[in-house]
Amino acid sequence: MAVKIRLKRMGQKKAPFYRVIVADSRSPRDGRFIAEIGTYDPTKEPTAFSVNEEEAKKWLANGAQPTETVNRLFKKAGIVK
Amino acid sequence: METGKAKGGSGAFAGTAEKLQEVFELSMLYDFYGELLGDHKKQIFEDYILNDLSLAEIADNTGMSRQGVHDAIKRCTKALRGYEEKLHLAKKFEGAKQLVGEIQQISGEITQTGDVGRIREIVSRAERILSEL
Repeated sequence: MAVKIRLKRMGQKKAPFYRVIVADSRSPRDGRFIAEIGTYDPTKEPTAFSVNEEEAKKWLANGAQPTETVNRLFKKAGIVK
Repeated sequence: METGKAKGGSGAFAGTAEKLQEVFELSMLYDFYGELLGDHKKQIFEDYILNDLSLAEIADNTGMSRQGVHDAIKRCTKALRGYEEKLHLAKKFEGAKQLVGEIQQISGEITQTGDVGRIREIVSRAERILSEL
């Protein structure tokens, strides 16, 4: 079972807001997820990204795959090189 | 972003801000014009931009080819940007939002200081919002 770390869009229309979630790669559409480890708010100036670094590193070490967008956020936050 | 192939892992760090910016932009455009896309395309686009699925995952879920998914997303992106180019709804929204934010800020400051002379600043912003509607 592949585990992914991905963004999930929340927030109202025209006010996007994302959660960083850990989810089974096979339960993408039903919205189930294993854990929420952070948030990303692109409407803030500058954009606000907050993540539980410890949790993120733990999931990465256990082989969870970040999506391209999450990977970029992690790089920005210095969680991955 | 035109390479299409450079997925997964060690992508260039340089494009970070742009890529995130693009996800945000498309997400906003989808809020404004998403209903104009067909149901099938809507679902694919939602999965890609809102649920952050990869092309391969969407292909798996829908039984399409990865290339097919890629093309569908490209067409959606083009359509959404085309609507914005003609209607400017997202741009107007951003402008109004910015000005209302400033009005809030200034009103707050006036409430604190009692400097009613600054009400003119509010009026000028309100006029700009009305003129752009």
